[in-house]
Amino acid sequence: MRSQRLLRRSILWMALGGLGLLLVFPAVAPAQEEVTTSIRRYKDREASTGYYEDYEVKPRRMRPFVGVPGVLRPSFPYSPKTGNIRIRTYLADAHRSVKFYKAQSCVECHAEEARNVHTTRGNITCRQCHGGEPIASIAHYFSPLNPVRRHAYVCSKCHEGSDASFATYVVHEPKPGALETRKTFPSLFYANWFMYLLVVGTLGFFILHTLVWVGKESYHHLREKMQREPEAESPPEKPEAQEPENE
Amino acid sequence: MNDQVRIVRFSIFDRLFHVGIMVTFLTQAVTGMGRLLYSTAWGKGVVNLFGGYEGATTVHNTVGILMIVGFVIHIAYVLAKVEWKSWHRSLFDADSLVPRWADAVHLGQKIRWFVGLGPPPAFDRWTYWEKFDYWAVFWGMPLLGVTGLLLMYPLVTSYFLPGWVLNVLVLFHRAEALLAMLYIFIIHFTIGHFRRGMFPMNECMFAGSVELEEEAKEKPLWIARLQEEGRLEEVMVAGPPHWYRVMYFIFGYTALLTGLYLLFTMIVYRNFIEWH
Repeated sequence: MRSQRLLRRSILWMALGGLGLLLVFPAVAPAQEEVTTSIRRYKDREASTGYYEDYEVKPRRMRPFVGVPGVLRPSFPYSPKTGNIRIRTYLADAHRSVKFYKAQSCVECHAEEARNVHTTRGNITCRQCHGGEPIASIAHYFSPLNPVRRHAYVCSKCHEGSDASFATYVVHEPKPGALETRKTFPSLFYANWFMYLLVVGTLGFFILHTLVWVGKESYHHLREKMQREPEAESPPEKPEAQEPENE
Repeated sequence: MNDQVRIVRFSIFDRLFHVGIMVTFLTQAVTGMGRLLYSTAWGKGVVNLFGGYEGATTVHNTVGILMIVGFVIHIAYVLAKVEWKSWHRSLFDADSLVPRWADAVHLGQKIRWFVGLGPPPAFDRWTYWEKFDYWAVFWGMPLLGVTGLLLMYPLVTSYFLPGWVLNVLVLFHRAEALLAMLYIFIIHFTIGHFRRGMFPMNECMFAGSVELEEEAKEKPLWIARLQEEGRLEEVMVAGPPHWYRVMYFIFGYTALLTGLYLLFTMIVYRNFIEWH
C-alpha cells in the first residue's frame, strides 16, 4: 500500500517536474529545414535550378547565437543617390536606387511584413498584392494598392465584393503592444492592453488561488496524518500534549 | 458507491449543457489552435485532420454557431427556471448562481485561511469559484461569439463597421480564446480533478449527485438548509449505475487528456503563439 502510494506520488512529481523543465528549455526550433525563412518557403526560388546555396539554408525564427556573415542587412542599404529621396511613399518605383535590388528578395529587408495571416496562412506572396516590377509605393497614384482602388484591384481578387471599408483592414499590423501603435492604431493598442490586463489579472489571481489552496490542503492532510500516526503507536497522552503547542 | 447516501446537485439539463459545452469547446480549441499554429508542423498536422485549413475553418465556424445556439437555449432555459412571481427570492437565494455579498465574504475568509488567520469558509450550495466558472462563460461566450460571427462574415461586417475593426476583433477573439483555454486547462481541471479528495475525478457534474457525507464537510450551510426545510429526503437519489460511471470516466478522461495535450502544446510552441 505504502509503496504503491510512493510510486503514485513519484510519478506525479516526475510529471510535474517534466512540465517545469519544458518551461526552462528553449522552445522547438526546427533549424535545418531548407528554407530561407519560416514563411517564404520555396516561393522565392520558383525558377530556381533546384541547387541551393549555403545562404538559402537559414535557421527559422529562433536563431542560434551564430551570425551568418553577409546575409544580414548591411549598414548602408541605399546607394548615394538615395539621399535625394526623403519619403518613399509616393514613388512610381518604391525601390528606386536601392543597392543590389535585383539580387535581393523582399523579406531580406521587409522581414516583419511577411509575418501576417495573408502570408503565413493564405500563402500569398508580396507581389500578388503589391504588383510586379517596378513596385509602386502604395500612395503613388497608379499603385494598385492606392486606397482609391485597393478594394477593387487587390482585395476583391480573393474577397469577392469587397468595398473601400473592407480594404481598410490593416494587413501589415503594427505590434499592438508597442508605444508607437498608440498613435498609428490606437484602438488596437487599447484593445491589446485591455485584454492583456484581463488575461494576466484573471489567470494571475486564480492560478495563485488554486496553487495556495492545493498546497494548503496537502499541508493540512499531511499534518493530520502525522498527528494520527503516533497516536496509534504510543499512549494517548502524547497528542494531548501536542495540541496546545500547535494552537 | 451505491451504499452511500447521495443527494441531487445537477439536473439532467445542467449535465447535458456541460457535456455540450465540453465537446464544442474542445472542438473549437483544437481547430483554433491548429490554425493559430499553422506555420508549425504541429498546426499543419492538426488542421489536416479536418481536411486542411479551409476544412478546419468550416468546422470552427459551424461549431461556433452551434455554441451560440446552445448559449441562447441555455439563457431561455434559465429564464424559464426563474420563478418570476417571487423573482427577487428566486434570483438571490442561496440556490441561485447570481453572485451575492456572501460570496465576497467567503473569498475574504478563504484568503484569511490561506495565510493562516482563520478557519476555512463554510459554503452554501454554490461556492464563489463555482459561480465564477459559470459566469466566466457568460462573458466569454458573447465576446467570442460576437467577434467570431463578425469575423466569419468579414464583408458583411465591413458594410456597417470600418474594415480596420476586423484587426481589433481578431485580437479580442484570440486573446479571449487563449484566456478561456488556459483557465479551463489549468484552473478548472485542477479544481475538478487534481485537488485532494477530488482525484481522479469530481464526478458530480456527470453523476448529477454528490455524497452527502463529503458535501457536509465543504458545503455545510447547504446541507443544514436542506435539513431545516425538511427537503433532505426529497433530494436523495441512488448512485449512478456502473456502466454509466465507466462511460463518463472514459469521456471525462478523453476531454481531460485533450485539454492537457493542448496545454502542453501551448507551452512547447509558446513562441509561435501570436497575440494579434
